[in-house]
Amino acid sequence: MWKYLLKRFLLMIPTLLGVAIVTFTLIRVIPGDVVELRYSGDRGAVSQDIIDKERARIGLNQPLWRQFTSWILGVVRLDFGTSMWTGAPIWEEVRLRFALSMQVAIMATIVSVLLAIPLGVLAALKQDTWIDYAVRLFSIAGLATPSFWLGIVAILVMLIVFKWLPPMVYTPFWVNPWQNLAQLIWPALAVGYRYSAVATRMTRSAMLEVLREDYIRTARAKGLMQKLILSRHALKNAILPVMTVIAIEFAFLIGGLVVTEQVFNLNGLGLLFVQAVAHRDYTLIQALVMLVSGFFIVVNFFMDVVYAYVDPRIRYR
Amino acid sequence: MRRWSTVLIILTLAVLASVWPLAAQDKPRNGGELIFVVPSEPPSYDGHQEETFGVTHPIAPHYNTLLRVDPTDKTGTKPVGDLAESWTVSKDQLTYTFKIRKGVKFHDGSELTSKDIKASYEKILHPPAGVKSLRKEAYGSIASVDAPDPTTFVIKLRYPESSILLNLASPWNFIYKADIIAKDPHWYEKNIMGTGPFKFGEHVKGSHWVGKKNPDYWDKGKPYLDSYRAIFISNSSAQVAAIRGERAMIQFRGFSPPERDQLVQALGPKISVQESPWDCLNFVSMHHEKKPFDDKRVRRALSLALDRYEGSKALSKITLVKDVGGIQVPGTPWATPPAELEKLAGFGHDTAKNRAEAKRLLKEAGVPDGFAFTFKNRGIPHPYEPLGIWLIDQWRQIGLNVKMEMIEASAYHPMLKRGDFEVAMDFQCGFIVEPDLDLPRFLSTSDANYGRHKDTLIDDLFSRQGRATDPEERKKLLRQIEKRLLDDEAHVIYTLQWHRIIPHLAKVKGWTITPSHYLNNQLDTVWLSE
Repeated sequence: MWKYLLKRFLLMIPTLLGVAIVTFTLIRVIPGDVVELRYSGDRGAVSQDIIDKERARIGLNQPLWRQFTSWILGVVRLDFGTSMWTGAPIWEEVRLRFALSMQVAIMATIVSVLLAIPLGVLAALKQDTWIDYAVRLFSIAGLATPSFWLGIVAILVMLIVFKWLPPMVYTPFWVNPWQNLAQLIWPALAVGYRYSAVATRMTRSAMLEVLREDYIRTARAKGLMQKLILSRHALKNAILPVMTVIAIEFAFLIGGLVVTEQVFNLNGLGLLFVQAVAHRDYTLIQALVMLVSGFFIVVNFFMDVVYAYVDPRIRYR
Repeated sequence: MRRWSTVLIILTLAVLASVWPLAAQDKPRNGGELIFVVPSEPPSYDGHQEETFGVTHPIAPHYNTLLRVDPTDKTGTKPVGDLAESWTVSKDQLTYTFKIRKGVKFHDGSELTSKDIKASYEKILHPPAGVKSLRKEAYGSIASVDAPDPTTFVIKLRYPESSILLNLASPWNFIYKADIIAKDPHWYEKNIMGTGPFKFGEHVKGSHWVGKKNPDYWDKGKPYLDSYRAIFISNSSAQVAAIRGERAMIQFRGFSPPERDQLVQALGPKISVQESPWDCLNFVSMHHEKKPFDDKRVRRALSLALDRYEGSKALSKITLVKDVGGIQVPGTPWATPPAELEKLAGFGHDTAKNRAEAKRLLKEAGVPDGFAFTFKNRGIPHPYEPLGIWLIDQWRQIGLNVKMEMIEASAYHPMLKRGDFEVAMDFQCGFIVEPDLDLPRFLSTSDANYGRHKDTLIDDLFSRQGRATDPEERKKLLRQIEKRLLDDEAHVIYTLQWHRIIPHLAKVKGWTITPSHYLNNQLDTVWLSE
């Protein structure tokens, strides 16, 4: 078990290094840099001398290998540097947005799990009945509907029908829970619904497969109650692939709600990502990619641990 | 007789009674929080080294400037005193002496003196090593600044400059505290300490900025608001939704005509709309080192092909352009009179005649019918896309085959600088309508002269107009520049003037639109009627 976990843990390092190299290289392929963008705004008439000095100040005139080395050494010390656009420490920029993104991700995951597990089980149990068809229709609609579109519709309905709009500014839950939920429940519902669609379908197909297994037939034959068969034997075995889907989607939500955050004006990591790319803020982009990929890797590692815990075949392999 | 007098008194009282509520309504009311949307965010807090409205909109209320543009002047071209109570100009127009207001206090309670103004201008004119100043070049005429006593500030010029007062009313030239600048010239990049009508409240990055009323403001009775809150929203649909849902009251940059119509339809009498020509312009740059655009006949033909007046009618319904103008914003002091404007190539009303002339010029220059070239445009929906589509349609009508290539916004400026284009959309926004500020990019030596034209006559005329002390003489010189730039040599092609549209909740009072979205953001005159 420990050997398995250590191996998994050590695999994280080359993955993160690969991400670092690819990110560092790719963002520099795009034309334009932060200095040109900052001083070519509406007026577009800043002298070349100022542009050159600013490039030198933030180190953009150094050879790429030197820029990479100093950055990666900082990363090793968990120092991601300062934003090239605002000059503020990266952690300060990220910390502000992380709480919001995390809360939306958790709320959307709860919405998703609350919808997906019961609906998926129900659809499997009532296979090919109108209930199954209704659940499948509901989940296919969720798959086909982008969450940002759902968000736009929700906002329009609130505006036109109820003449109300969610608050535009984030208030932490512990400061004002009502204000916090009034702002975040809508994106959580929009994202959670879409996210539940994948998990519902996964739950349904996994349950269908498990329900046909010999041990389920045996349990039924010995007269075990349906409720016990489902909770102790079927769901426990069917849940593994569903957990993987939920975990990966959860990791995605941390930095992937780019458009949804714009629609609801959420000050989250997705919006920060877009701004960082638009500003060519190399240090911030690099830090965000490392953060999100690190999050993915940690979630994956966590899932490996859970797998090993839930399925003895894995830890004894 | 008495009966008539009684009737007259009753009528007078009735009229007064009907007028009184209106008068009361126009009287500024104290209190309330102004909530406005800012589509951009300040990279740093130091106005001296930034040029985005993302700085002026949330930060200007914390500061005063030496002079400011009259907040009630719709043309945005009238300088009035801010920290300067009055000023005198020497006979040779080389020395400007400003009397500084007494009793002005910084937000930390210390008193402002001319020493602070001198230190702020020294930082702009001669920034210490490692400190940027974007407007250093704009003050090339200033020989020295001095503070002979606490209430006197003196500027000496190398040569007379007609635009100097307006240039000193720049909304970027925040007056900082001398002691702080002396200790750390970078301090103002991340901190606020001014004399303005509002004190700093908080800045939550990516979210909002809060300013609180300065109770010790030198202009007694102002500001009227208790506070303001600037919410950063980059997405335009979310901006409209914020105002429509009354979560915000105004956005000071501008909306497009369809967005205005949407808000007016949804909010009816709850919304007011202010509109003005905008000191922003898209013009076409043609690379003077690439054939056939090195030939002025070809460049003139491209300008002659445009039916600007019909274009204005159609485009003003869908995007933020409207007026047909010359080198200065229509309606402002140095703008071209319509009769003179019509004499320039492509500005006349007889489109058929213009296009016939365009075809003749192309033929004469050896450009064949169906000649193909690529027009590069910036990947921003408004007004770039519709303007670009309109331009290529106009050029097709003189037998040119034009392909438009949209380039991602952030890659666009580097492309222009590299000169990697034949014909491209160029752009400019000014903070005050003033030839000295708007025209330097058309000089041969300018870094922003992307078409790379060399025209010493324009350089000379520009220099002379800036030093002309007689307004009529200056106007004549400006018309000569205009004729050469847009007609004789057709170095660039002006399209249509941007049009600024500010729909705001009707309860927002005391704010006047100007042609610049950088101006009028001190918020000292703004109040809420409910």
